Amino acid sequence: MEKQHVFDQIPDYLDGNLNRSDKASFEKHIAQCADCQKELEGTKQLFNAFDKEVSIPTDRLRSKFEAVLQQEKSNQGNVVQLNSRPSSNWTGNALKIAASIALLVAAFQMGSLFQQRKANKDIAQLQYETDRMKQTAMLSLMENQSASKRIQGVNYIEEFEQPDEAIIQALSNRLLYDENDNVRMTAFEALAKFTSSEMVKNTFVQALEQEKNPSIQVSIIQALVQIQEKKAAEPMKKLLEKEDTQPFIKEQIKAVLPSLT
Amino acid sequence: METLSDEMIMQKVSEGNLDLLKVLFDRHHRHVYNFLYKMSGDKMLAEDLTQDVFYKLIKYRNSYNNGAFLSWMFTIARNSLKTYYTRNHKSHDDIEVLAYKAVEEENDVSDNNAHLQYALSQLDPFDRELVILNRYKEIKYDELAEIMGSTPGAVKTRVCRILKKLKNIYLESI
Repeated sequence: MEKQHVFDQIPDYLDGNLNRSDKASFEKHIAQCADCQKELEGTKQLFNAFDKEVSIPTDRLRSKFEAVLQQEKSNQGNVVQLNSRPSSNWTGNALKIAASIALLVAAFQMGSLFQQRKANKDIAQLQYETDRMKQTAMLSLMENQSASKRIQGVNYIEEFEQPDEAIIQALSNRLLYDENDNVRMTAFEALAKFTSSEMVKNTFVQALEQEKNPSIQVSIIQALVQIQEKKAAEPMKKLLEKEDTQPFIKEQIKAVLPSLT
Repeated sequence: METLSDEMIMQKVSEGNLDLLKVLFDRHHRHVYNFLYKMSGDKMLAEDLTQDVFYKLIKYRNSYNNGAFLSWMFTIARNSLKTYYTRNHKSHDDIEVLAYKAVEEENDVSDNNAHLQYALSQLDPFDRELVILNRYKEIKYDELAEIMGSTPGAVKTRVCRILKKLKNIYLESI
């Protein structure tokens, strides 16, 4: 019974890499086959040579290796320092980030501040312009033919917190020279808010001399007494002497005159 | 420490524990040296190149990718040898072997050694490499295939054939 030669399994057999059944059949075949025995012997010899022939390097190799390793370790010391660097870099980076955020916020604040200032300026400009326009409208309305328009113009005074001289002058003119009683009355009421002005006081005194309408006369007298205007005493005395002055006006004057003189 | 696998130790080395390289050196420097010696037939060269291999292990420890350590180490060893030969020209090979034989006879090293070395020198470099690597029992066919860039089956078949050839040369030379 001729079996297949088992040359291919010889190395594995010698290395002990065959499993049990393969090993059993291998050994069975070897026992019968002279060729394979010879082959096995030869290979065994070769392997023995390999195993025996282990050349041992000199100590130089080890000492050199250890020197290199030592050097590398001392370099690694530097590496550790380098490793610690990124951590300081990390804090540095954090600081940088914080600084950039701070810059951003500051820039944003500055921007909004400037924007606000500009807006305020614009608003002031606009306010000024509307004031001018109102003033113009007011002055032109007061020159209007229609009495109601003139009253409307005079009433515009409420739009102004600090009316300038032109407006006061225009109102005074209304009080002194307007032919319509209602316009004069409204102008008086408008001016009554600014009695601290010398111009308004003078206007009141002058109006008292000229005024024919009793109700306006009464109002002016009361206003003048309230601000204790001494100059008003003279025109009041004249009114007392005048024959066409209403009797209740005279009584009024008599009542307040002592407080002025 | 002795029980740790090469891969685990190398992993720790690549993390910075350089002292562990001594363990790897103790375990493997003879194998590397013998591989290089059998490949080149020159003891001094083998020693220098072994030195070089371990130096590269230190230098490139960070590029170790947790693969099989033996494959990695012998790949480095092969490359060192290849670099040496390309630098010193191919024709050098024969001269090295001849020079070696002369030296061996003088030094009166065992016959086995000389014969084996002679038989190895008769193989072509690729086959010689394969068989030398195969004779280190730590290297399995899988790893050998990885080093050679081949499949385990093909490597095994080839090793069997080369061993047979080598055996014949060796037995004839005795």
